[in-house]
Amino acid sequence: MKYAFFIGCTALARLWGYETSSRKTAAKIGVELVDMPGSSCCGTTYLETLDEITALALAARNICIAEEMGLDIVTICNGCTEALVKANKKLKEDPELRAEVNHVLADVGKEFKGTVDVKHYVRMLKDDIGLEKLGSMVVKPFEGLRVGAHYGCHMLKPSDVMLYDDPEAPTTLDELIDLTGARSVQYPNKLECCAGPIMGVREDVTWSVGLEKVETVKKYADVMVTACPFCYITYERCQLMAENSPEVPVVHYPQLLGLALGLDYEDLGLEENKVDASVLLEKMRD
Amino acid sequence: MTDGKITIKKENIEFRKRVLETPGAEKLMLCYQCGTCTADCPVAMRVKEFRPRQIARLAVYGQKERLFEGDTLWLCAGCYTCYERCPEEVRVSEIVSALRKLALKEGIIHPAYRALMRSIAEMGYIYEIDEFQNEMREDEDLPPAPEPDTEEIEAIMRKTGFLGLLEGS
Repeated sequence: MKYAFFIGCTALARLWGYETSSRKTAAKIGVELVDMPGSSCCGTTYLETLDEITALALAARNICIAEEMGLDIVTICNGCTEALVKANKKLKEDPELRAEVNHVLADVGKEFKGTVDVKHYVRMLKDDIGLEKLGSMVVKPFEGLRVGAHYGCHMLKPSDVMLYDDPEAPTTLDELIDLTGARSVQYPNKLECCAGPIMGVREDVTWSVGLEKVETVKKYADVMVTACPFCYITYERCQLMAENSPEVPVVHYPQLLGLALGLDYEDLGLEENKVDASVLLEKMRD
Repeated sequence: MTDGKITIKKENIEFRKRVLETPGAEKLMLCYQCGTCTADCPVAMRVKEFRPRQIARLAVYGQKERLFEGDTLWLCAGCYTCYERCPEEVRVSEIVSALRKLALKEGIIHPAYRALMRSIAEMGYIYEIDEFQNEMREDEDLPPAPEPDTEEIEAIMRKTGFLGLLEGS
């Protein structure tokens, strides 16, 4: 299986552990992720609130690159997923909007055709590989590891655009965690937003929202697992800035899966996670 | 947002009309102030001046000045909780989005948003990804970052008029 790999800005610039584990875990299960030459920022969930056509055009420009490659897009950031899925859906369904955006893109020699799909990495794992197959590939299962999953908002919402899982009671990430031998726990306010997007407006609010969740997770789980670089940064950084850090390791989902598939801790960039995540190694079946 | 009497003049009705004409905000008038949006908003739980229900009310009454002042419009994290749960599909997140578009047309944008948008226009990314980053990536056995054609990005943002609005803000 082969996909165009849309990395987005945040993982690309700041979270190499996420990018590298996404690549290596994919390779391990026979998924080829091909870089998208010339791709840029997705357009962001910020831009769509300021100017719809510009947001759609920037997203569409990236989608055009995948169309030229003839490959569906796999994303690893919830923000990118929402921006690209939304643009792809709107432009496929609304001929007027598509004409307007293509008029803009014509100046840079691009045309949105509507020939590819966009999906988040975890959705690719569940829908295209399958839980059963992934489970059968686990060679180093975890034992007694309790995981607090954080989905992040834009993997699932707006639900009439994302059309995936249940926005109020999702199961995808939990199922993907459980197949590694770890146990995905339920905890209060599991679906609450990380508040990362308002970091530039009220940083203090972001850190307090983050810390509240991490402290909750600590009561129920050994580690927290995310599938979005923005959420990850919030939950890691709020701990680094706290006077009394709860010290809950925050782990990118492909790192968790990668370990269970037999990949090395260092190779998965786990040494770059700023809250020591070595509990993962301690909780593996011998 | 300050408390105070609301007066509705011709310009307020005119402003409301502009909100209603913005895609996504069409159902504003259906708001019956149930308050689900504020009750479930992760920001409102912690920031008392951010009241999604009040934003909807002020928009219904076209109170542009009050909506545009301070950080009101810029505190929405875009989590879509209110979008999902609004019983009338008014969706305050979409009302906020419409209001931000109208604010920008008047040169109003939060500095953090302006900085992010300028980064995209100048570099194609929200962060600078330079030689140093690529050297670090090489050390991690990662391929060089995709290089966006910044002229293309700028041309797109110029053509839609967005860059002009940003420059005028």
